[in-house]
Amino acid sequence: MIEYIIKIKKVTKNIFQDPWVWKMAWRDGRQNLSRLFLFTAALITGISAVVAISSLNYSLQEELDRNAKELLGADLVLNSNKKFETDIFSVIDTTKQQIARDADMASMVMFMNTQQSRLVKLTAMKGDFPFYGEMATFPSNAYELMKTGRYAMMDESLASQYQISSEDSIKVGTKIFKMAGVVTKIPGGGGLTSTLAPAVYISLEALDSTGLVQFGSRVGYSLYVKTRSEIETNKLIERIKPLSKKIGFGYETVQARRDGLGQGLKSVYRFFSLLAFVALVLGCIGVASSVHIYAREKRDDVAILRCIGSSGWQAFNIYFIQIFVLGIIGSMVGSGLGVVIHQSIPFVFQEYIPLKLQFAISWRAIGEGIILGAIVSVLFTLLPLVSVRFVPPLTVLRADFDPGKFFSKTKWLAIGLIVLFPILAAAYQTKSLLTGALFSVGLAVALGLLASVAIGLLFLVRRYFPTNASFIFRHALSNLFRPNNQTRVLMVTIGLGAFIISTLNVIEKSLLNQVEFSGGKNQSNTILFDIQPSQKEGVVKLIKDQPLPVNQVVPIITCRLKELKGKSIEDIQKDTTSIPEWALTREYRVTYRDSLTSSEELIKGNLQKYYPTRRDSVFVTISEGMHETLQMKVGDSLVFDLQGVPMKAWIGGIRKVNWPKDPPNFIFVFPTGVLENAPQIYVASTRVDDPQVATRFQRALVIDYPNVSLIDLRLILSTVDELFKKIGLVVRFLALFSIVTGLVVLAGAVMNSKFVRMKENVLLRTIGARTSQLTKITLIEYGYLGVFSAFTGMLLSLGGGWLLTKFFFDVQFSFDPFELAAIGAGVIFLTVFIGWFNSREVISTPPLQVLRKEG
Amino acid sequence: MSDVVLQCENLTKTYLSGERPLTVLDDVSFSAVQGTSLAIIGPSGSGKTTLLGLCAGLDVPSSGVLSLMGFKLNAMNEDDRAYVRNQFVGFVFQNFQLLPTLTALENVMVPLELRGEKNISIKAKELLARVGLADRFHHFPTQLSGGEQQRVALARAFITSPRILFADEPTGNLDEENAHQITDLIFTMNRQEKTTLILVTHNLELAEKTERILQMKGGRLVNERVTGLAVS
Repeated sequence: MIEYIIKIKKVTKNIFQDPWVWKMAWRDGRQNLSRLFLFTAALITGISAVVAISSLNYSLQEELDRNAKELLGADLVLNSNKKFETDIFSVIDTTKQQIARDADMASMVMFMNTQQSRLVKLTAMKGDFPFYGEMATFPSNAYELMKTGRYAMMDESLASQYQISSEDSIKVGTKIFKMAGVVTKIPGGGGLTSTLAPAVYISLEALDSTGLVQFGSRVGYSLYVKTRSEIETNKLIERIKPLSKKIGFGYETVQARRDGLGQGLKSVYRFFSLLAFVALVLGCIGVASSVHIYAREKRDDVAILRCIGSSGWQAFNIYFIQIFVLGIIGSMVGSGLGVVIHQSIPFVFQEYIPLKLQFAISWRAIGEGIILGAIVSVLFTLLPLVSVRFVPPLTVLRADFDPGKFFSKTKWLAIGLIVLFPILAAAYQTKSLLTGALFSVGLAVALGLLASVAIGLLFLVRRYFPTNASFIFRHALSNLFRPNNQTRVLMVTIGLGAFIISTLNVIEKSLLNQVEFSGGKNQSNTILFDIQPSQKEGVVKLIKDQPLPVNQVVPIITCRLKELKGKSIEDIQKDTTSIPEWALTREYRVTYRDSLTSSEELIKGNLQKYYPTRRDSVFVTISEGMHETLQMKVGDSLVFDLQGVPMKAWIGGIRKVNWPKDPPNFIFVFPTGVLENAPQIYVASTRVDDPQVATRFQRALVIDYPNVSLIDLRLILSTVDELFKKIGLVVRFLALFSIVTGLVVLAGAVMNSKFVRMKENVLLRTIGARTSQLTKITLIEYGYLGVFSAFTGMLLSLGGGWLLTKFFFDVQFSFDPFELAAIGAGVIFLTVFIGWFNSREVISTPPLQVLRKEG
Repeated sequence: MSDVVLQCENLTKTYLSGERPLTVLDDVSFSAVQGTSLAIIGPSGSGKTTLLGLCAGLDVPSSGVLSLMGFKLNAMNEDDRAYVRNQFVGFVFQNFQLLPTLTALENVMVPLELRGEKNISIKAKELLARVGLADRFHHFPTQLSGGEQQRVALARAFITSPRILFADEPTGNLDEENAHQITDLIFTMNRQEKTTLILVTHNLELAEKTERILQMKGGRLVNERVTGLAVS
C-alpha cells in the first residue's frame, strides 16, 4: 500500500507541469468559448466601466488642474500689501522661473466722454500674465496696446454701463489713458470676487505716472510665478516660506485653488469612486454567476474525464485556464473599450455642448483595469469552479447523483478572499480602508435584507397560498417554494442589481442637484455694491422691476483687527513665528445677521444673539480656515477697529463657507443689534442670464444710482460653470454605463435559473402542457420574482442613498420617483423577458432529448 | 489468486432517501478473474448499475471490501481511484459519454494523454480504424451517428489496454444492426486484448455471450451461473 501511495504521488502535477490540461483547455475552448459569452460580457462591461470611469476621473482631475491653473493664471501667486522686496526676486531669479506682477488699488477714474467718475479696482500689470488660460479682450490687441503704457482696458460690464468705446479716454489719477478695449475674460478671478469692484487695467510702468501711489496708499501687490513642475513649485514654496513670515506676504498655489473649488467637486470624485466600485462589484457578480452556469454545463464532461482517470485538480485546471486566459483577454478588451468610450465622449457630446474636453489616454487606468480583470477572473472563478473538482464520476451512470456537501480548503480560501476583495477594492477607490469596509458592510447588509425579504415572501406565499386559483397561477406560485427553488438566490441577485442601479440613480440625482445649485440657475452672478442705506429700497425695486430675483441684500462694514486674545496686533507682528501679517493688517468687510445663508454651515459653537444690556455679549462667527490662520477658537476674544471705534467681541462659532456659492460671503459675521449704526454700505446680489437684460439693467442703474457699482460675476463664473456642466454630463453618462453593467449581471442571474426549471417544464410538456401554459407559468413566476426583487431593491436604495448622501457625499438627499419607477419596471421587464427566453429553449427542445439525458 | 482482478466482499451501499436510509446493494460478494467475462443482469432498480459503479471505483461502498487489481478502492480518495481507473480500467456506457468538444481522435487519445504518454495518435488512429472509423478521425461527436459514437467509445476504452472493461448497457441506445456490430466488436477486442469484461445489461441474449451471469434482485445477488460459452 505504501508503494502504491508513492506511485500515485509521483504523477501528481501542478498546472504548470501538466501540458495536458493546457491542451484540453484549448481543445474544449475552441468549440465552446461561446458558452463563456456571459462571463466575457460581464468582465468586459465591468472592466470597461472601471477603466472609463477611472480615465474620466483622471481626465477630470487634469481638467480641474487646468481650470485651477486658469483661475489662478500661474503656478504660484504671492500676495502682499507691501512692495515685494529684492529678497523675493533674488530667490525667484535663482530658480529662473518666469514671473509677472501686478499692483491693484481702489481708485476713482473719470470717463472723459461723460465726465462721470467711478470707484474702480485699478490693476497695473507687468509681464506676460496670465501663464495659464487667456486674457480675452475686445479688440484682441487691446492687451498689447495696454502694455505700451498709454492705453487702458476695463471690464466689459463697466464699459457697457458707461457706454465707453475704444474712441474714448479715461483719467486715472493725473494721467489720461486712451481706451485700448474691454476685458471679457481674465484668469485670476478670485481677486475680483474679493474686491467686489469692476476693474480698470493699465501697465505697471504707467502706475507711477498717475501719482496715485503715495505714502499711506493701500495697494495690493501680486507676483505671479510660472514653474516647470509641481515639484519646482513646492521647492520654491519651501524657499520663500521663511521670507513669507519675515516680510509678511501670503501665497496661493494651484492645489489650494483646486481644493477651494467647492464641495460639489469632492462629491463628484467620490461618486466616480463609488461608480467604479459598483461597476467592479457588478462585474464580479457577473463573472461568478456566469462561471457558475459554465461549471454546471461542464458537469457531464467532468464526470467523463474523472471516469477515465483525470484528477479533480486536472479537471478544475482545464476550465480555470480557459477562464483565466479569457479573463486576461476580456480585461484587455474591456480596458480598450473603456479607453474608446472615454475617448469618444468629446465626439459623442460635441453637438450638444460646445465645450472643449481634453481627455488624454490614461495608461494608469488601463493598467489598473487589466490587473483588476485578472484578479476578478481568478477570485470570482474559484468559488463556482471549485465544485468541478468534486463532480462524482458516478454522474456518468446517474445524472442526478448528488454527492452531498464537500469540504474544500480552496473554497474557504476563495470565500475569505472574496470577502476581503470588496473591502480592499473600495479602500483603493475611495483611498480609505474605513470607507472600503463600510461600503462592504453596506453591501453585506443589503444582501442580508434581500435574503430576509425572500424568506419572508416564501413564508407569506405558503401561508396564504390561493388554493382556489387556476392551475397555472397555483403552479407558478408554488414554483417559488418547491424543492430546488431558486427564489432566494434570484431575489438576492436581482434585488442586488435593482438596489445598485437605483442607488446610483439616487446619488446621481442628489449630486446633480448639488452641482446645479452650485453652478446653476440659483447662484448670483451680479453683485451691486456701494448702495447707500437711503438707496437700498430703490435699488431693490429696480432689480425687481427688470424683473430679476433679489438673492441677497446685505450690509457691509469695513474694519480692521486691533487685538487678538488680548494681545495687540503690533505685539503679535513682532512675533515672527506667529500669524501671517496680511491676515493681521488687512481690511475686513463684515456683515451682521442672526442666521446662516445657504452657502454656510455652522461646524462649531453656535449663533448667539446680542443683548444690549450685556456688554460682553458680542459673539461673532468666523469662517473655517481663517480661524486657523488667526489661531482663534470658540470663546477667544478679539477687538475690531470699526473706523476708529474699538469693538470687543468673542468668537461664538465657526462657519464652513462654500465661497463660490452665492456670493457675497464673509469671514466675520456679527449678530444684529451691534453694527446698525456704524457707517455702512449695502451689497445686493441677483442673477442675470440674458445679456440684453444685463445691459438694460446696468444702464438703468447708472442713470438712477450712478454711485452704485456693479460687478458682473459671469466673467468668473463662466469658468466654474463650464466645469460643472462637464461634470454633470460625465456623471450622467457614467451612471448610465454602470446601469448597463448591472443589466448584464441581471441577465446572468436569471439565465442561471434555467437549469432548475428545464426538467420540470419538459415533464409538464411531456404530459401535455401547451406552449401557452408553460409560457404563462414562466411569466407569472418570474413576474413575482421581478416585482418583489425590484421593489425591495428600490426601497433599500432609498435607505442606502440617504446614508451615502448624508455621510459619504455630504449633499442633500434627493431622488426622482419617476426615474426610480422606470428602473423598477425595467428590472421587472428584464427578469420576465429572460425567464421567457429561457423557457423558449425548453419549448423548442424535444422532451425525449432532455429526458434521455436526465435518465 | 494472482489472476483475480476484481474482488467484492460483502458490498453494501446505502443512500439516504429523505430522512430514511435506503439500501440499494445488500451484502454482495463475487470476484472476476483476468481475461474472463461476466454479465450482471436484473430488473430496473435491482442494483446492477450501482454494483458496476462500485466495482469500477466510481463510488465507494457503505461497507464491505472492494479490491481492483489489488488496490483496496474503499481506502482510497477519489483522485487515487481516478489514477487506478486510468491505469487499469476501460468503460463503455449506454449514452456513449464522449466529450462533445473533442474530435473522435482526441476522445480516443485522452486516456493515454492523461498518463503522459507521447506519440499516441498513431495508436489511436489504428484503433479507430479497427472499429471502422478511419474516415472519421476529425469529426466531433455531434457529427457521428449513435453507432459511430459507441465505436469511438470502444476505441477509447481499449486504447489503454485495460485489464478490465466495464460496459453499462453498451447497446441500449442502438438499433439492432449497430447493436450487433458493437457486440461483436466488444467481444472480439476483449478476446484479443485479454481484458476482463464486466457487462451490465437487460439483454439476456447479450448476457449469454459472457462466461458467467450474476443475477441481481432487490439489491442482492440472487443467482450466479456459468453460461454455455464457459462450458464450451
